[in-house]
Amino acid sequence: MNPGSVAFGLASRIRSWMRATAQRRRLERDMELELADHLERLTSDLIAAGHNPHEASRRARIALGPALKHKEDMRSSLGLQWMDQARDDLRFAVRQMRRNPRFAIIGALSLALAIGANSTLFAVVKQLLYTPLAVPHADQLRLLRWWGDGNEAVHGMWGDFDSAPGQGTNSSVFSYPVYQQLRAHNDVLQDLIGFKDDGMNATIRGEAQRVSVEMVSGNYYGQLRVRPQVGRAITEADTVVPGSGAVAVISDGLWARSFGRSPVVVGQTITLNQSVVTIVGVNPPGFTGLKLAQQSPDLFVPLSLQPVIDPKGKASLLTDPGLWWVNIMARSRDGITDLQAQSALNFVLQGAVRSTLTVRRGETMPRLVLTDGSRGLRVPDRVFRMPLLVLWALTGFVLLLACANVANLLLARAAQRRREMSVRLALGAARGRLLRQLLTESVLLAFLGGVGGLVLTYFGRNLLPRLLTEPWQRAEFNTAFDAKVFAFTTIITLITSVLFGLAPAWLSSRLPIGGALKETALQTTRRRKGLSGKALVSFQVALSTILVLGAGVFLRTIWSLGSVDVGFNPDNLLLLEIEPPVSRYPAGKDVNLHMQLEQRFTAVPGVESVAAGYVPYISDNMSNETFLPEGEISDPHRRQAEAVNWVGTDFFKTLEIPILAGRAFGIQDTATSPKVGIINESLARKRFGSTDVVGKRFKADQEKSDWIQIVGVCRDTRYVNLRTQPPAQFFLPFVQQKQVGRMVYQVRTHVPASTLAPLLRKIVQQVDPDLPVTDIRTQRDQINAAMQLERAVAVLTVGFGLLAMSLSAVGIYGVMAYSVAQRTNEIGIRLAVGARPVQVRGMILQESSRVTGIGLVCGIAVALGLTHLVRSMLFGIETYDPPTILVTVGVLVLVALGATWIPARRAAALQPMDALRNE
Amino acid sequence: MKTEKPNDVLQGTLDLLILRAVSLGPLHGYGVLLRIHQMSGEELLIQQGSLYPALYRLEHQGAITSEWGESENNRKAKYYRLTRLGRERLSEETERWERMSGIINQILRVTPKEI
Repeated sequence: MNPGSVAFGLASRIRSWMRATAQRRRLERDMELELADHLERLTSDLIAAGHNPHEASRRARIALGPALKHKEDMRSSLGLQWMDQARDDLRFAVRQMRRNPRFAIIGALSLALAIGANSTLFAVVKQLLYTPLAVPHADQLRLLRWWGDGNEAVHGMWGDFDSAPGQGTNSSVFSYPVYQQLRAHNDVLQDLIGFKDDGMNATIRGEAQRVSVEMVSGNYYGQLRVRPQVGRAITEADTVVPGSGAVAVISDGLWARSFGRSPVVVGQTITLNQSVVTIVGVNPPGFTGLKLAQQSPDLFVPLSLQPVIDPKGKASLLTDPGLWWVNIMARSRDGITDLQAQSALNFVLQGAVRSTLTVRRGETMPRLVLTDGSRGLRVPDRVFRMPLLVLWALTGFVLLLACANVANLLLARAAQRRREMSVRLALGAARGRLLRQLLTESVLLAFLGGVGGLVLTYFGRNLLPRLLTEPWQRAEFNTAFDAKVFAFTTIITLITSVLFGLAPAWLSSRLPIGGALKETALQTTRRRKGLSGKALVSFQVALSTILVLGAGVFLRTIWSLGSVDVGFNPDNLLLLEIEPPVSRYPAGKDVNLHMQLEQRFTAVPGVESVAAGYVPYISDNMSNETFLPEGEISDPHRRQAEAVNWVGTDFFKTLEIPILAGRAFGIQDTATSPKVGIINESLARKRFGSTDVVGKRFKADQEKSDWIQIVGVCRDTRYVNLRTQPPAQFFLPFVQQKQVGRMVYQVRTHVPASTLAPLLRKIVQQVDPDLPVTDIRTQRDQINAAMQLERAVAVLTVGFGLLAMSLSAVGIYGVMAYSVAQRTNEIGIRLAVGARPVQVRGMILQESSRVTGIGLVCGIAVALGLTHLVRSMLFGIETYDPPTILVTVGVLVLVALGATWIPARRAAALQPMDALRNE
Repeated sequence: MKTEKPNDVLQGTLDLLILRAVSLGPLHGYGVLLRIHQMSGEELLIQQGSLYPALYRLEHQGAITSEWGESENNRKAKYYRLTRLGRERLSEETERWERMSGIINQILRVTPKEI
């Protein structure tokens, strides 16, 4: 047959099957009519041949044969039989479930929780770790990065930067002159796009607010092939002259939030760090820029605007070779491999570095690396990859556990249905049909679980990211609930149903014909048929052990973090940030502003004391500055930088950091008085070798700076986060600095933040209506936020642990109850010949302990191995933590005993005569 | 799931007979039966029970198509007609049958001397 005919035949089959399914009633009627017509014609022919009507009709019916059978054959000719059977199986499965709703509810619920947890994690992992940027062909994007050996010639960096001892430096930022040279000499990638994300102050429709901004090169929109939904894009023409191009394209989110999606937004102006920029377009919804795939910056402006709107220091960064800050992305070029492109660009980079920087002796060249740019700078990877994958793995265990649980319930039920199966086999049911029947029941159960799981995923998918982000920041990212999530849920549901359904179904359908019918109630010896059930329970206990132990170590971690002594009093401390833009507040003016605000804040009723500080503690921020005690000279081969903070006069009083020697800063320390500093204990020991340092002098930043006299030594405090030990640190009064920029105000008060914040905001507005007050939170919030990830992990793992324990309890209870029911006769005999109820109870408890014990031992062995893998996420405990193990064992033994107690008591309370008569 | 049928060998033959009967003009089920009987010189009477499943199978496969229509004395009947695919299949099956029967005939005619 030619291919056309084959296709035609196939199409015909599908059409016929669809018609038959869709118009089933008509099909049945047609078959009926056709056979009736046949019978009539045959009868009338027989009458014509001389038979009497009665005889003719009888013969006709004999000749045609049983209509029922023919119709069945006709249906199977159309391929309908399979579906009819499936429908029958399903109907039977539903009836079975209705008859035993408790089984169905426990099974479906545990599956729903496990599937829901898995799908939620899938959705979040996909969103955070695998969503590509919303540009056409994101897979073509390459991000330029560089590696250094730690002694590279690059010193000033603003941007992401990883350095680990022995592993060198690794960063994605370049200086603007280097970017220009790379761009000019690039013929291995498509045109290089430069971009930079930063936070700025904006006044939009009269409202001062903090906005996120992506500064972009002129080729950005063209290269990315993104077209604004309203207005125009930023073009090369906007970026020709440095400082020019006061235009902005706004995000869809900002358009909706601040302009109500009004189309007349184009041409409106906004104030951005005190400069006026004109809105020329609105990005399409879904476009999130090049940094992140999850959340879009509010504004996109030309990079050429940097010296005007985002000046850092005096010089324009567009000409400064010293500071490396621009991110570079480009599309790949057809026919050129990444390796070729990388070596060609590396060559250009070497030249660019040599021509723009003075490379000192001992300094090395950064080496260019081309990496996947399809997910932007991959910011979430660094923080979330490990915790999310750990959580996902744990939900995998939960799912396995739920499967084991349902398999166990099914096995117990299969044992109850042995007679039913035997009868069916004896009556001629094919084993395949039985297998299908049982699998249908499993699939139905899994389907219920899957639907429940989908519902959980729908509601849980945004809950998880909320647990992970800082509560006082606006988080826009929504986890997509799309076809992939749906497909994933469907697939794991199907796998699940096969996992838990196949073994019990197979065991049942393998029964010998009539075997169970011959079984009598007079079984006194135990057979080993309960084996698989008990093995499953041990497996469940093992999985629970892993999950409970996991919950234990993460709980211990947040307890340890929570009980860390931070070195200052974090309670009743309100934090808020104010960043005066350099354009309006150049050096000196900003210091005055902060002094003025400090004074005004202090005067507010309810405020006990106020101090501004450059770095808020436990916020993952830190500042370093070269620290040179008297007698030490600057040495490029030694790390001489120490942690620093520029603080207000009342800093130590406000944070309640004890001064151990000397004095705190006071009103006598002014811009014109001799320069003073305070250092902490660690710094005193580290750089002076003793804490008796009051009166000694040091220099900060560089050798030609002024001498600073140490006036006090304070206690150590944690700095960057809760995990790292207090660093050596020194403090300088901000009033003695030339320029400080953004400051974080720390307000000691017993007034609730919600009451105080508006008052403080009003004061700032009186001083400068364009100055936004941002990131208002308490120091406690800040510390809690620092523990956010750990807390989220702990909360979720504890949830998984509890779920695991309840599933195991159900499993143990089910198996023991079944075992007692099976051994009723045996127990009756034991009791009749003189066993005491206590002994019977002990026997049952012993049986369950054995099962639990095996599970516990295996579980702990595996869990210890796994804990070792996540040790970077732990704090304050070793991977081998005896208390956690002991508690885990204790809890699980209690759960096992509890679950066995009812069956054991039932066994002990049996009356010997009843037990013996038990059928 | 396929239920094994004892007359699988004959089934192909039945399909061929039906296709041939219908190739001479549209027929209803009973008509197919009569036509085959008539064409075989009143020699062959096919199993009435297996006729309809075979018709449905052929229609499902697209070899024939059916339509309700009026028959002689104003009675409604379902008429089967050969499709293009059915015609192709008829000629293929005919050819195969002829080859097969030729081979079998030859086998049956062979005398001991000829080997």
